[in-house]
Amino acid sequence: MKKKILKWGLLVFALALLIGGSVFLYMFFQPHRDVRSAKTDYQVVAKQIVDEYLKDQLAANDKYLQEEGDSKIIEVTGIIAAISEDFNNQKVVLIKSPNEPAGVSCTFSSETNKNAEKLKIGDRVTIKGVIRSGAGYDEDMELYEDVIMEKCDTLE
Amino acid sequence: MKKTILSIVIVAIIAVTSSFTPIASKLISKKGHVNFFSHTAVEDISADNYKLVSTLETETGELIYTVPMQSFEFEKSMMQKHFNSDKFLDTKEYPKSKFKGAITNLSEIDFGSDGEYAALVSGDLTIHGVTKAVTENATITISGGTITVDVVMDITLADYSIAFKKGKPSTNIAKTVKTTIKAVYN
Repeated sequence: MKKKILKWGLLVFALALLIGGSVFLYMFFQPHRDVRSAKTDYQVVAKQIVDEYLKDQLAANDKYLQEEGDSKIIEVTGIIAAISEDFNNQKVVLIKSPNEPAGVSCTFSSETNKNAEKLKIGDRVTIKGVIRSGAGYDEDMELYEDVIMEKCDTLE
Repeated sequence: MKKTILSIVIVAIIAVTSSFTPIASKLISKKGHVNFFSHTAVEDISADNYKLVSTLETETGELIYTVPMQSFEFEKSMMQKHFNSDKFLDTKEYPKSKFKGAITNLSEIDFGSDGEYAALVSGDLTIHGVTKAVTENATITISGGTITVDVVMDITLADYSIAFKKGKPSTNIAKTVKTTIKAVYN
C-alpha cells in the first residue's frame, strides 16, 4: 500500500516538474509576436491618428500603447511622402498628407523590405504594423514627431 | 511712378529682411541607433533601437535626443516584455526618453571642416519620468557635409527609479548599463 502511494506520488511529482519545466521553457524561448499575421486592432487614415495624438496625447497613448510593449496593431492608409532607410537597413515609409504637420512613419523589416521597394512617393497605400509611439510637437527640438510604427508590411 | 517707388520699397524690404534672417542651423537626424548593453557574470543582455530622433544646432551646440522606448528590440521576447512592463521602464506611461543638452567645448569643433573631434556633452537625461544631469564624452565626425555624433552614456538604473530588488533580474541585469547613441545629420 505504502509503495503504491509512493509510486503515485513520484509520478505526480514528475508530471508536475515536466509541465512546470515546459511552461518555463516556453515562456523563456517564446518567439516575438508575429505582427504580420496578428489581428488588426484599428484601421485608420493617417490624418486621423495624427490628429488624435495632436489633440490629446495622453488619451491616444492610453488607447494605442500597451503594457509590456505589445501595443496595438494598426492598418494605416494614406499617401507616401518619403521613403528612406534606417541604420538597420530597414525601409522607412512616411505616410503624410501635405497639409498635416506630422505623419505616420512605417518601418519595414528584413522580411518585408522587398514589398516596400515596390512603393514610390505619391502612392496611396495601406500599411499594417505595430505602433511604438505617437505624434507630437517637441518644443525643444522645434519639430513635429511622427507616429512610429514598426514590423510593417503593405496590404493588398 | 508711385507704383515703381512702392515696388522698389517692397523689394528693398524683402532684400533687407532676408539678408538678416539667419540660416536655420538646427540639423535634424532621423537616422540613428541606440544600443544598450548590460554585462553581468550570469549573462550579457543587449537591445537595439533604430527610431531615435535628434536635433543638433551647430551655432549653439544644443543637442537633443528623443527615443521611443517601445522600439527597443531584444533577442528574447520575454526580456522585451519585462523591459516594457510597469515593473521596469513602464513604457506605456513613459513612451519616450529624452536628452536635452549641449556640446560644452564647442570652440574646439569646426563643423565646416572634415575630421574627428572629441566633444563633451552635458545636459538633462529623462528616463522613466526621472530627470538627471549627465555629462558624457562624445565623438563628432564630419565628412563631406555629413555630421555624425557618437555618445556613450553609462546609465545607472537606480538613478531613474528602475530597481530590481530580487529575483532573476537583480542578478542578471547590470546596475549600470552602457548606452551607445549614434546619429547622422545631413
